[in-house]
Amino acid sequence: MLDAFEVLTTSGVVLWSRTYAPVSPSIVNNFIADTFIEEKTGTIAPTDSQSAATNPAYRSDQHTLKWTFVKELGLIFVVVYRSLLHLSWVDKLVDNIKTIFVELYGEQLTKPHTTLVECHSFGEYFDQQLKELDKSSHAGYISPIDEESASHPAAAGLKYRGHAPNGTAAHDTTSADSTPIQTPNASRPSTPGNLVVAKAGPVAKMSRRARKAHNSGSAPASSGDEALASSRLKKGAKATKKGRKWNAEGFADEEDDDVQLDYSRPSLTSDSEAEAVGRSSALDAVESSTWGSTSKGKFILKDLGDEVHDILASAEAQKAEKAARADTKTGLLGSGVNAISGLFRNVVGGKTLTKEDLDKAMKGMEDHLLRKNVAREAAVRLCEGVEKELVGVKTGNFESINAKIQAAMESSLTKMLTPTSSLDLLREIDSITAPPVTSLRKARPYVISIVGVNGVGKSTNLSKICFFLLQNKYKVLIAAGDTFRSGAVEQLAVHVRNLKELTAREGGKVELYQKGYGKDAAAVAKDAVNHAAQEGYDVVLIDTAGRRHNDQRLMSSLEKFAKFAQPDKILMVGEALVGTDSVAQARNFNAAFGSDRALDGFIISKCDTVGDMVGTLVSLVHATNVPVVFVGVGQHYSDLRNFSVKWAVQKLLSSN
Amino acid sequence: MASLTFTELVEIIMTPSLPVILIGIILILGGPILFHLVLSSSSTYTVPPSVLLLGPDNAGKTALLTLFERGAKPSATHTSQVSHSIELNASTDSVTKASFRNHDDATGTHTKFFLVDTPGHGKLRNVAMGKLARTEKTKAVVFLVDAAALGEQETLAPTAAYLYDVLLFLQKKATSKGKDKASIPVLIAANKMDLFTALPATMVKTHLETELTRIRASRSKGLLDSGVGIDDVGSEEQDGWLGEYGSEKFTFQQMGEFDIDVEVLAGSVLTEEPGADKWWWWIAQRI
Repeated sequence: MLDAFEVLTTSGVVLWSRTYAPVSPSIVNNFIADTFIEEKTGTIAPTDSQSAATNPAYRSDQHTLKWTFVKELGLIFVVVYRSLLHLSWVDKLVDNIKTIFVELYGEQLTKPHTTLVECHSFGEYFDQQLKELDKSSHAGYISPIDEESASHPAAAGLKYRGHAPNGTAAHDTTSADSTPIQTPNASRPSTPGNLVVAKAGPVAKMSRRARKAHNSGSAPASSGDEALASSRLKKGAKATKKGRKWNAEGFADEEDDDVQLDYSRPSLTSDSEAEAVGRSSALDAVESSTWGSTSKGKFILKDLGDEVHDILASAEAQKAEKAARADTKTGLLGSGVNAISGLFRNVVGGKTLTKEDLDKAMKGMEDHLLRKNVAREAAVRLCEGVEKELVGVKTGNFESINAKIQAAMESSLTKMLTPTSSLDLLREIDSITAPPVTSLRKARPYVISIVGVNGVGKSTNLSKICFFLLQNKYKVLIAAGDTFRSGAVEQLAVHVRNLKELTAREGGKVELYQKGYGKDAAAVAKDAVNHAAQEGYDVVLIDTAGRRHNDQRLMSSLEKFAKFAQPDKILMVGEALVGTDSVAQARNFNAAFGSDRALDGFIISKCDTVGDMVGTLVSLVHATNVPVVFVGVGQHYSDLRNFSVKWAVQKLLSSN
Repeated sequence: MASLTFTELVEIIMTPSLPVILIGIILILGGPILFHLVLSSSSTYTVPPSVLLLGPDNAGKTALLTLFERGAKPSATHTSQVSHSIELNASTDSVTKASFRNHDDATGTHTKFFLVDTPGHGKLRNVAMGKLARTEKTKAVVFLVDAAALGEQETLAPTAAYLYDVLLFLQKKATSKGKDKASIPVLIAANKMDLFTALPATMVKTHLETELTRIRASRSKGLLDSGVGIDDVGSEEQDGWLGEYGSEKFTFQQMGEFDIDVEVLAGSVLTEEPGADKWWWWIAQRI
């Protein structure tokens, strides 16, 4: 069924894994790189305590990876299975395994300076979960999948009910498990002080009475219970269906009720009711031990299952408790003390950040980014990412929230703007024009084409790049691919004339390749590349006509262009002056070259005109994940710069 | 005294008398001192030396880290996202001094040190470089390379580019005049010697040197960084020339000019032979 299940840390160590079929480690490596490091999937920084169901599945050629993530401990749980299989219970498995693993070994993970985690025995827990869930899936196959998954949370909460008073009541647990419908009602009398009343139907009430009577009954009754349990197990499908029905009636609110009921259970007072429950479960425990001896292996498994359920249930209860605490504020005194200590901690540090703390400061950060000309979409997503990263984090000694946000934003921006691979243009040109003898590649000219919206400075930046290449003694051919706008070819001719004069002494060579106006740009580009190959040029720079990014007709010709000219690098020029539109520009141009080709980099022009407001480059990179290669900083041929991430981040975060 | 009411208590406190004044003085003076003690005890003053593991992704940094920690066998690893450090003990005079499997060795004097793993992925390079810049008492840098893939240009180029950045940083650190001036030795650990395609240590060295020469040449001809102001152009700090200035070809010996000792040693994390003992011994000598 599954191919592999792995528990690994963000530092890269696999703590525990189970492999059923050989899986190449590169699959998980790619998954980590794409999801966590490059954030290609489009989701912002993965957040904590999300269920595997809400995390987008990662798909490689044949495998699907489902995952979940624990932020505080830096743990990733990932399951790999064949994409052909449709395993509806995998989400549940990943979530349960997460809960169990964190409960059992969370302590060990917080120790500094070690990667050792003693978790050899975890295999048994895993097997138990797998067996349990796999079974439920077989039953669930008949019913629709969405319903199946909907019934899960309720079931997880309910498991707790059955055996909470007495952890050893293995038998009782199993019966409670397979009969979720009874349990919410059984819990009701034991929590007289609770405001919330489960809206159970009369039928359910009946069953509660039946169960109560049955619980306080003697041994024969409990053996009947056992029979009931086994019959339930046999009719697994029916049981789940019943549970589902109850849940479907309730919707979201109802689920909340259920959760609150759970929470109240630990405060079980020793009234007669509780006594009865305790007595009955003790009886059950005895009963189950005799039953267990008949089939030894099975019994041991049940014992483990019990522990697992205990863990899952207590985690669920904790979550509920947390939710309940958030709902009901403590008294006036309590809130006053909280406020004061909160203020104190604001200054001294050591405060655990909550969403409320961050909200205001994040709003400020968002405004700051917007003032820096970052598109709203990008700013909002960046801030959301930082906020999710910071919730639950403790501030350091004498560290204010703002300082913390500033630092987090800096690292977030740096990570985003840093390219995955090095962008040394000269090296790349060298490896194409003079390939190493061992590579069996033929030398050919390196082709760079430049695209962009009208008037952003395509021709100007093209000539700047040309100047830079000429200084490095390359032979450059400029192809006039703008066969549309009048004067475009002449403009390039002027540039070429100037460049020739400027670099005559340096040894570079530059020529213009042009076919006049009205011709097909893609054909001109193709001819130019062929011409360059024959004449022994090193680099071909192709200018293109400016086009509006939302003009379908003009954009569609780019795909043909990419196919004909086969450029090694497609650079898009984006001006620093543009605002929110930059996101749409970058997206449309990135998608215009067909499915197997995308932009290779951005040139940000006119950076000298905006001062500190260089937000456009963030918007561009954010929308496409394509790195910024060059930055235009002036009017001269020499005013082209390599993009420095440090410089950009500094400018973006500088106040005023 | 137990029958004091609240108002009486307030009255006593508010009435000027010797005990009240004394208690007040003790509180005012003692508070900050106590506070200081609490704060200072929370952080240790003695920081053990650190050894940094650098290198591109998929070179075996995390695997080496776990091998040193576990002794027997490295754990399975995947791409790291965060940097992680472990505590190890090395010695130069015990029985098992040449082996990292020294966890139960009682002879000799052992020095505690931190081995710091860094993520190798291109986007997280700044995390690794930040570690290099900020880690206190960095005694040595181990730069892992994948010797089996180094024959190919696709691996060689980024590896060398990374190594170039690291060496340039160390060179700047060694030539800086400030307090943080330090010469940190570098071990280039050619990993994966157990694989068929692995290059021997000497080949790894010449490959890297050739590539570093090319990078140095193209960097010197490249464009300025966008952060560089007009005034900085041509100044010494901006001049990122690695090794002996103006030399035709870069060799690791040139780093000796800055007291940076660069050594290339072959080994493998996954197999017993040639193993990682040579690297361990190199680290042990530097601590």
